[in-house]
Amino acid sequence: MASTGITTREELAFRKGVVNGKQLTAQDREQMLKPFLPPPPPPPLETTSLKSPKRQILSQRTTAAPKLNLTPVRTFLHIILHVIISVLFSIFFRFRRSWRLFSYKVRGVLRHHHHTPEWIVNDVKNVEQLPKHISVVLEHRDDDEDQGNAGLEGLVQDACEIAAWTASAGIPLLSIYERTGVLKNYVPQLHAAIQKNLESYFGTRRRPTLTVKAPHTISYSPPGTPSSEPTENGASTSRPHLTVLLLSEHDGRATLVDLTVTLASMAQKSDIDPKQIDIALINAELSDYVSSEPDLLVLFGPRVQLMGYPPWQLRLTEIFHLPDNKGVNYLVFRKALGTFGKAEFRVGK
Amino acid sequence: MASIHKHGISRWIAYSPPVAWTVRQLRELLIGALRQGPMPQHVAFVMDGNRRFARSHHIETVEGHNMGFEALARILEVCYKAGVKVVTIYAFSIENFKRSKHEVDALMELAKLKLVQLAEHGALLDRYGASIRILGNRELVKPDVIEAIDRAVSITAHNNRAILNVCFPYTSRDEITTAIKSTVEQYSTPLASLQTPSKRTFSESHITQQIRKQMLEEDTDGSSAPQESRSASPSSLKDAKSVEGGRSSSTTTAINSSDKDESHTTAPSYPDPESITAETLDEHMLTAGAPPLDLLVRTSGVDRLSDFMLWQCHENTSIVILKCLWPEFDLWQFLPVLVEWQWQKKKSQEQQKSRALSKAE
Repeated sequence: MASTGITTREELAFRKGVVNGKQLTAQDREQMLKPFLPPPPPPPLETTSLKSPKRQILSQRTTAAPKLNLTPVRTFLHIILHVIISVLFSIFFRFRRSWRLFSYKVRGVLRHHHHTPEWIVNDVKNVEQLPKHISVVLEHRDDDEDQGNAGLEGLVQDACEIAAWTASAGIPLLSIYERTGVLKNYVPQLHAAIQKNLESYFGTRRRPTLTVKAPHTISYSPPGTPSSEPTENGASTSRPHLTVLLLSEHDGRATLVDLTVTLASMAQKSDIDPKQIDIALINAELSDYVSSEPDLLVLFGPRVQLMGYPPWQLRLTEIFHLPDNKGVNYLVFRKALGTFGKAEFRVGK
Repeated sequence: MASIHKHGISRWIAYSPPVAWTVRQLRELLIGALRQGPMPQHVAFVMDGNRRFARSHHIETVEGHNMGFEALARILEVCYKAGVKVVTIYAFSIENFKRSKHEVDALMELAKLKLVQLAEHGALLDRYGASIRILGNRELVKPDVIEAIDRAVSITAHNNRAILNVCFPYTSRDEITTAIKSTVEQYSTPLASLQTPSKRTFSESHITQQIRKQMLEEDTDGSSAPQESRSASPSSLKDAKSVEGGRSSSTTTAINSSDKDESHTTAPSYPDPESITAETLDEHMLTAGAPPLDLLVRTSGVDRLSDFMLWQCHENTSIVILKCLWPEFDLWQFLPVLVEWQWQKKKSQEQQKSRALSKAE
C-alpha cells in the first residue's frame, strides 16, 4: 500500500525475512532498518544552517541521516501544519455536529413515540433480540443549555421517560447510572413519578408494576403495588413488571474497594484463604449486591466516556451512543435497541 | 494491506522508490505536526478484525494475524514518534483459548517468533527507548513462550521513554481479581516490624475460666430460672458458646494458652484494611505506574470492551470505535481520531478555565 511508504523489497524482507531469496540474519535486518531509525537517545544537536527545506530533506536522504532531528525549519513546518490541520478539522467537526444534531431532530420528530406503547412496540418489532437488562447513563447538569432539563427535576423527568420506553419495549430490568447518586435519596418520589408517567403511557389498567431499588437498600415497591393485588379479570397476572435499579459512582470502584476491605479483614481473621478468591466469587458478590451485567448500555452524551460506570459489570456490554448527540431522546433509545438486535455475540471467537 | 490484490501498475507506482519516499516524508511531517498539540499519554488498542480481514481477502487466518502484526508495527511507530508514553495492546484474550488449536498454536508461534527477533535487536530498541511489558496470566502460557517473553522483557527493561504493554493472555476480570487477591494477601500477612513480643499481663483463657467459675457458682445457687436464660437468647447463647469453648480448651490448657498468646501478638500487627483505597488497588493492577488511560481505540466496529481495561477506562477515557478492520488500520485512520481527541481536549480545557473563572467571580 502506498500509504506506508516502504518499497516492495523492504516489505518482503519484513514479512518473510527474505531478500533476493536469502534468509536475513540479525545483522542484515539491522542494516536495512538503519535509515528508518530515530536518532540515538541523547540526540546530537546538529546546527545545520538554514537551507531550503527541500534541499535539507534531500541531503538527509543521501546521507541517510536520522530523521527526527528537529531543526528550526522543520519545527516551523510542523507548527504551521498543526495549525492548518487543527483549523480544518475544527471547522469540519463543527459542521458535522450541526448536521448530525439537525438530522437527529428531524428523525426524532418523524419517528416520535407519541406516548403510545404500541408505537414503541412497533419500533422494536423487527428487532431480533431484545436485551434483558438495559442500562443508561444520565448526567446531572447544573445549567439547562438545551431543553430545560437541568438539576434533579430534569433527572427525574429523564428517568421517567426512559422507564416508560423500557417498559413499552418489554425489557424487564433498567439500571440508571448517575454519577453523583442524587436519585438514590429520592427513591419513593422517583417511584411515584415513574408510576405516574407509566400511567400516562399505558393507562391505569394496563400499567406495568414497578419496583425501584438501589444497591444495599431494600427495594421499594409500595403497598398497593398491583402485583400483590387480587386480580379483577384475571389479566393482571400477565402485567409486565419493571425493575429500576439506581447506580452511582459509589457502586463502581468504591464497591470493589469495599469488597477488598471485607475480604482482607476476613483473611486477617483466617475466615477465608486468599486462594479462594476467584472471578466467580467476586462476580457472585457484585451481581448480588450491586447489579448484574447489563446487555446494553445507552449513552446519551456526545461520545463514549464511561464517567465512573461500575467497571466489573461492563465486560461484554454493548455500548451505544449517537455521536454528537445531546440529551435524552427517544431516537437514541430506539437506535440502540436496533443496533443491539443486529449484534452478534462471540466470546473470544 | 490490500496490496496483494492491487493492479500491477498502481502497485508498481506505489512501491516505486520515489513515491514510497515521498509518502514516508509526508508521514513524518504529519506525525511531527501532531506532536505540536496535546498528545494522549496512554493509548490502548483492541486489535480486532484480523480474522474477518483474512476471510474477506481469502487468505488464511494465520496470514491475517501476520497482517495484523504489521499494522501494529506501523501504529506503534506513529504512537511513539508522536509522543505517546504508554501503548497497551490487547494481543490475546484468555477467552481466545476457545479457538481452534491450530490457530492458538499459530498465534503463540507468532508471538514467540516476534519476541525472539526483538530480543536480537536490543541495541536498536534502545534508540526508541521503549520497554516491553507483558500483562496477563502467565500460568496459561507454555514455558517456551514464557522464556521468549522473559528475555524480551529483560532486554528492554532499562528503557524508560516509552512502554509497550502487551496483554497476553489477559482479561480484565482476571486482572481485577488478581489485584484484589494480591491486596488481600498483602493485608493478611502480619507486619514484621510492628510485632510486639511482650506478652500481656492478662490472659484471655484465665478470664474465661474466672467467668465460668462465677457462673457455676450462680448455677449452684440454683434459683435463677432456666426459662430466663432461654428468653434472652442471643447473648446467653453466645455466653454459653464461649463457656463451652473455655471448657473444651481447659482440657488442653497448655496448647490453648500458647495459641491465644500467639494471636495476641500477631493480631494487632496487621495493616488496617480500612486503609485500602482505589489507589491501593490501582497499584496492584497490571498497569500500575502507567498514566491514566486517555484513549482506547477498537477496530472493526464492535461496540464492546470485551473484558479489556475495564478498571482503567471507566473514568475519562475516550473510547473510539472504528469501522475499519485492524490490518487496514494505519496513520490515515488514526490521524482523525487523534485530531478529534486533541480538539476535545482543548475544548474541555477551555471549559474548565471558564468554569474556574466564573466560580472565582
